[in-house]
Amino acid sequence: MGKIFDWIDRRFNLKVVHKRFLKRSLPEKITYFHCLGGAAFTSYLCLIVTGLLLSIYYVPSELEAYDSIVKIQHEVRFGKVIRSVHNWSATLFIVFIILHTLRVFIHKAYAPPRQLNWLVGTLAMLLAFASGFTGYLLPWDQKAFWATEVGTSMASTIPAIGKYIMYFIRGGLDVTGVTLIRFYSMHVLWIPFFMMMALWVHFHMVRRLGIKRNL
Amino acid sequence: MDRRIFLKKIIKTFFFSVGIITSSLSVLFIYPSNISRRKTVFFDILAEDELPRKGVKRVDFTYKHKEKDVQTGFYIVADKGSILGLSPVCSHLGCLVKYNNHEKAFICPCHGGKYDIRGQVTDGPPPKPLTELPLKIADGRVYVGIKV
Ligand code: HEM
Ligand code: FES
Repeated sequence: MGKIFDWIDRRFNLKVVHKRFLKRSLPEKITYFHCLGGAAFTSYLCLIVTGLLLSIYYVPSELEAYDSIVKIQHEVRFGKVIRSVHNWSATLFIVFIILHTLRVFIHKAYAPPRQLNWLVGTLAMLLAFASGFTGYLLPWDQKAFWATEVGTSMASTIPAIGKYIMYFIRGGLDVTGVTLIRFYSMHVLWIPFFMMMALWVHFHMVRRLGIKRNL
Repeated sequence: MDRRIFLKKIIKTFFFSVGIITSSLSVLFIYPSNISRRKTVFFDILAEDELPRKGVKRVDFTYKHKEKDVQTGFYIVADKGSILGLSPVCSHLGCLVKYNNHEKAFICPCHGGKYDIRGQVTDGPPPKPLTELPLKIADGRVYVGIKV
């Protein structure tokens, strides 16, 4: 195994490039609170793996979405487990991001020169919220429908342009099959794409600027 | 101006415009195209003698819209000698209210909005009364006007 990898590495030089990333100086006083960002990322990896699996059976259509969820839950092998892991990782993801943000806030790690990474982190957090919101509609049951009805109505309370923002999000006057499809697209294509870019930037900035030395 | 700088500027402007144009077109692409104003259409729902004398009656019916069956419902209220139709859509964020006979109130399950029997807000976050639906009575039949 090592030999095969070394052979490949002699051609691509993967090791050298990543040594810089893995071998970096850390502050002496590093705590478990510094793991919260990593914990969030780990939940995110679980979301990607289980999400890819769910998308094999899920049908994003008005007439079939609910049935396909029932099928995943009761017929597909391990379907229940995969759904459950996707749910729990989503919950933990949000929890860890919030805790990680708190840790960064308390350590004042948002201060120069790390301002930009705070902003990119905020973007990642907003994307995470958007992911949760769009994913919640996908089972297409009563709870999903009304949560989206209420959630999208909130946009309409913005003065003047609110109504149009709501139509934009819903893809029409009401929450319909059109909404389901665009939420699905956002949930599995758009948001993961932008999230990858945001995290890539986030991690590279952490490497460049280093972890803040405290106190 | 130097030829190189000039070319650079042209290329920058070109990519910048392509970026702006594609993003605006994408927003227009995503914005729904079939937003038409809703028109009020009257539906025949029940016979005149089925109207409640006093209190609240829930009426459910199905109509066809763009070749799809749409299920809907509303409330008919008989109070102080007058009859009115009330939409069950909460004015807060659009959940469906339910009439509670015990409390003589319309209660929203989402954030605790409450309306009295005439649809006026008595509690909770709703900013406006329930929408009144026009009722028409002709030849012993009752028609309700719904925006579709
Ligand atoms: C998608 C969610 C996120 C993931 C996966 C993530 C991941 C990480 C990781 C692995 C680190 C390395 C250090 C550590 O673990 O503390 C880090 C650092 C950092 N994160 Fe995040 N993060 C996320 C969201 C956020 C948010 C929402 C903010 C702030 C609004 C933020 C701000 C920062 C900052 C400023 C650092 C540098 C910390 C330092 O130098 O001490 N991150 N992030
Ligand atoms: S939607 Fe009825 S109280 Fe909020």
